[in-house]
Amino acid sequence: MEDILIKVDGLGRRYVTYKRGSGFKESIKSFFKRKKVYVDAVKNVSFTVKEGDIVGILGPNGAGKSTTIKMLTGTLYPSEGTIDVMGYNPCKDRVKYVKNMGAVFGQKSQLIFDIPPVDSFVMNKAIYDIDDREYEERLKLLTELLELGDIIYRPTRVLSLGERMKCEFIMAMLHNPKIVFLDEPTIGLDVIAKQNVRKFIKEMNERGVTFILTTHDLQDVEQLAKNVIIINSGEKVFDGTITELKNTLGAKKIVEITLADDTESDVSDIEGVKLIEKNNNLQFTLEVDTEIIPINKFIGLMSQKSVFTDISIKELPMEDVIAKIYTEKVGK
Amino acid sequence: MKKYLKINKEAIRVAISSAAAYRADFLLSMIITLLSNVLYPLVTILVYRTGASYDGWNMYEVLLIQAVFTMSSGISSMFFESIVWSTMRDVQNGTLEIILIKPVNCMVYLIVSGFNVYSIGVVIGGIIMFAISIIKLGFPSPDMWIVSLIFFAMGILVMLAMQLLMAATSFKWVANSRIPEMYESVMSFGKYPQSIFNKVVVGLTTFIIPVAMIGFFPAAALLGKVQWYMYLAIIPCILFLCLGVAVYHYNVRLYEGVGG
Repeated sequence: MEDILIKVDGLGRRYVTYKRGSGFKESIKSFFKRKKVYVDAVKNVSFTVKEGDIVGILGPNGAGKSTTIKMLTGTLYPSEGTIDVMGYNPCKDRVKYVKNMGAVFGQKSQLIFDIPPVDSFVMNKAIYDIDDREYEERLKLLTELLELGDIIYRPTRVLSLGERMKCEFIMAMLHNPKIVFLDEPTIGLDVIAKQNVRKFIKEMNERGVTFILTTHDLQDVEQLAKNVIIINSGEKVFDGTITELKNTLGAKKIVEITLADDTESDVSDIEGVKLIEKNNNLQFTLEVDTEIIPINKFIGLMSQKSVFTDISIKELPMEDVIAKIYTEKVGK
Repeated sequence: MKKYLKINKEAIRVAISSAAAYRADFLLSMIITLLSNVLYPLVTILVYRTGASYDGWNMYEVLLIQAVFTMSSGISSMFFESIVWSTMRDVQNGTLEIILIKPVNCMVYLIVSGFNVYSIGVVIGGIIMFAISIIKLGFPSPDMWIVSLIFFAMGILVMLAMQLLMAATSFKWVANSRIPEMYESVMSFGKYPQSIFNKVVVGLTTFIIPVAMIGFFPAAALLGKVQWYMYLAIIPCILFLCLGVAVYHYNVRLYEGVGG
């Protein structure tokens, strides 16, 4: 039985903003009298995270992901609902809680710009009160896993974004946190750097660290996340495994087929098959619903119908699945 | 507490190595801060050269007040001033979260994690001025030193409180770079013997915003000119610091969105 690390129940966050009119007259008016407007950034979100999990939190821009992360990291008080992380209330027991928690923000650096990262690490050593031996061991382990070598001794400002991001990971994980929040950790990184970061996250996960990840990079989610939570307009619209996510649009496959001749190219008589794209008379892209017609049956039917020289069967692209969920009306 | 001292030690190391990374900038800034702080006493010297004087105070006495003021403001800007800029920057860029995810008190951390290397010049300038004035005026007795030191410490608390209040304003008014100017002008009441001000100003600078504690009171103690109400001013100093701490914490809580 795996332990539950995070339990979120009915979480909500309401902001108060002021309505300002546009145009000169309205601006003057709003200078004296402003109308309060309540905005629900997060509404009634509940979920649990088990120990050793990697959870991807997805959602379009402005969906409430960052607000949720802020509340989970204890930097923002929830308006309603409760959060329990490892037995702590993140806001109320902030100082005790954050000792066991780390965070990497892709857009906000924790490193001190003018000095080498290793000096920033020493600063964190003081902040988290890490003893000398543990610090040395941890630093050695992390630099080896991230293949950083002597890069940590160069001034932060001369490092590449990829190198800096790796150093951010060290910064967040020196104190051996049980849980690490990653807010867009691969933003702006090149392919190789992204792969390195993902490899590192996987390795740390195998060592028992739980990760909560927000990202817009679906590759991050596909390669890392075990479970996915999707938030849209402040509400949770999906919560499940990667496979479940892919199956939300039905168990569909994309089949690209190239015929040998244009004798028979009509597929409209096969049930569960939809023509998506017709490149020319010989090349087709089809969507096959495997719940209606199993893939082997489909191939059987196709080979009776016509002669094909090439066939490839693919998963439905993640992007389509996500886009569908994002555009769906909340609370249908 | 030990943790914060450790952090402070690291911060000083970091500040010095950061400064060392830009040598020319460091030297220039040091010279500029030194000049702008030492220029002030020069004005005093000029005033006395023309034959004018501050009522009942000779030139070295006034210089002593200003030397104490310079040392005090040098020390406070060395250790505390960075909270104003770091709060402003962190609120504006939304990077305060980075501090809130560390197991530290946000305010104490921002105070101890900053160290202004350039103020070393100011402190040194103050010490030199102080030494010259003391030599000219004659050495005070040990009990005068003790009283003066207590007042001096209180003055530093007042400075800290002012920094906290200034820093706290940047939660609401992002990027309000005019506030430090106001601070400078309020402070400057501590640079002069109180006898040149009218009763209202004396009252204000003693009991409401006790800036007289920064320069005038400790210097008066060394000159044997202590009056009973100066001891009483210790109370508003402590209250003022409490106010600074409370206002800062209140704003951090607002930032975290308590209630809101």
